Amino acid sequence: MLNLHELEQRWLRYKIKSYLPYLAIVLSVSVIFLSLFVFLREPSTPITKNITPIKAPVISPKPQVILKPKQPQVEKKVLTQKKELPQVQKEIIPSPRSTNKVILSPSLGFMKKMQTDQQPYYKNEHTNENNDVQIKAPTVTVVRDDIQHVEHPKIETVKKISITHKNTHNDIAEIISRFKKNNNPALSLFVAKKYYELGDYRQAYNYALITNQINQDIEVSWIIFTKSLVKLGEKKKAIKTLKQYIHQSHSNSAQILLDEIISGKFK
Amino acid sequence: MSSIFVNSKDVFLDIVNAKDYVQLDRVSSIYQSLKDSIKKPLKMILLYGKPGTGKSMFLNKLHTDLSSTQSIFLYKTPILDESEFYKTLAQDIFGTRYSGELNFTQFMKIVEKKEFQETPVVLLDEAQLYSDVLMEKIRLLSDTRTVKFVITLHKTEKEDIIAKEHFQTRIWETIELENASSSELKIYIQKKLMKANCFDSANMFTNKSVNRIHKITNGNYRDTNKLLYTLFDLYSLYEKSSRLSNIRTDQVPNKLIEMSAIHTGLIDA
Ligand SMILES: Nc1ncnc2c1ncn2[C@@H]1O[C@H](COP(=O)(O)OP(=O)(O)OP(=O)(O)O)[C@@H](O)[C@H]1O
Ligand SMILES: [Mg+2]
Repeated sequence: MLNLHELEQRWLRYKIKSYLPYLAIVLSVSVIFLSLFVFLREPSTPITKNITPIKAPVISPKPQVILKPKQPQVEKKVLTQKKELPQVQKEIIPSPRSTNKVILSPSLGFMKKMQTDQQPYYKNEHTNENNDVQIKAPTVTVVRDDIQHVEHPKIETVKKISITHKNTHNDIAEIISRFKKNNNPALSLFVAKKYYELGDYRQAYNYALITNQINQDIEVSWIIFTKSLVKLGEKKKAIKTLKQYIHQSHSNSAQILLDEIISGKFK
Repeated sequence: MSSIFVNSKDVFLDIVNAKDYVQLDRVSSIYQSLKDSIKKPLKMILLYGKPGTGKSMFLNKLHTDLSSTQSIFLYKTPILDESEFYKTLAQDIFGTRYSGELNFTQFMKIVEKKEFQETPVVLLDEAQLYSDVLMEKIRLLSDTRTVKFVITLHKTEKEDIIAKEHFQTRIWETIELENASSSELKIYIQKKLMKANCFDSANMFTNKSVNRIHKITNGNYRDTNKLLYTLFDLYSLYEKSSRLSNIRTDQVPNKLIEMSAIHTGLIDA
């Protein structure tokens, strides 16, 4: 049964999860920026340039006189250097590609792809609102013995088709899983028949029952159903079921089976 | 009071019934060529495609449409027992009832004696369930051109291996059914709803909504049915709990589509 609240919660978690990759991209992009910034900042030389003038007065023969006017100069230079900082930052951001650091380009391409994400298969299809949409011609191919070479590319897939035959218990399991998907009584009936052949009458009974519940007009299914009942030692129930079925369907095969069960020919 | 959402929900029950058949351009032209092929002296026609692409629907429609004008028989469930298979065909096609066993040689004798103005057509669904032996007999039978077979095969990734030679080397036609494109899916959904007089629901499927659905279901009809069944189930639940005002009804919001997909397992969450 559907639980709105629980489903909404699950959806929320799904949404958050689906945004995680984007978050990761944003995070890694900023980490790259940050490290780039730090990297470019480290070898910056202006500081050493600033220091040299300090050294100069030390070497200078007249230290006492020059010291006073020079010190504010040093301070000024350090200050201007600080002011330049934001400028440096500004320059780095827009031109990471020009410095041939390709680290950023893949993530940008990925973002672009996200934006223009489309179904690759139907790119050329129209998306008209009208019902008179032109849709491509059917893929019909004729295969002949005398033609080895085939013009149509679709044949590639044609060659790949195969028929696999279901015989063992494993194969039955596969059919059961398909049955669960499409609920096709043809498949459940097939399973019932197979189980009957293998002598698993309980399962044959179960699947014939399921088949009858989906479609109560399948004669063979009723026959398997009652045959399994007899095999399971439920002869009375089998006769009763068959009689009911014959009453509404007037089935000949069911009548023959009923006679055989009553006479003991089928046991 | 029956809500529009409950009615819309039932439209998407997974049922194969020719009266629910929706005419889609691509499908119709395939259908037309299939009808033409039946008239051609081809021995066998193979209809194949992934699960849920509408093969069974196609056969049912063909049977319903043609049964008034020509002799055509549909077997939805494979008949496994050889003798039972011949006996069923003998009875259905030639109107001859046999008690006891009937083998291939005996059946061929009956077939060769019969003259038809128009070749009877036998439609076999789920042909991959027939045994090798019986399939070979069906092929031999087609070679006589007294009976024309149209068979359906479902193709799965697992079975994408080299075909049995009798499927490659015989004169026959193969028709592949595929998933719907986004625009086809829109037509499919809207036509289905309009057939059931759910016009308001049909209008909720804008290109944006359909694109989201198509991304999830790949245009597979069965998966789309499942998804939309749950979707309208959700709508009716919101309606019941008087929370309909919280969600959009002029177009289907992605949130609801995704919730349905999560519930049906089409999205892993
Ligand atoms: N043209 C159509 N009109 C209306 N409904 C359709 C159409 N095609 C497919 N469907 C719907 O899609 C669902 C799946 O179709 P169907 O059962 O025919 O698929 P399939 O190819 O036979 O699958 P599988 O290989 O599992 O047997 C059905 O419930 C049917 O209602
Ligand atoms: Mg089918």
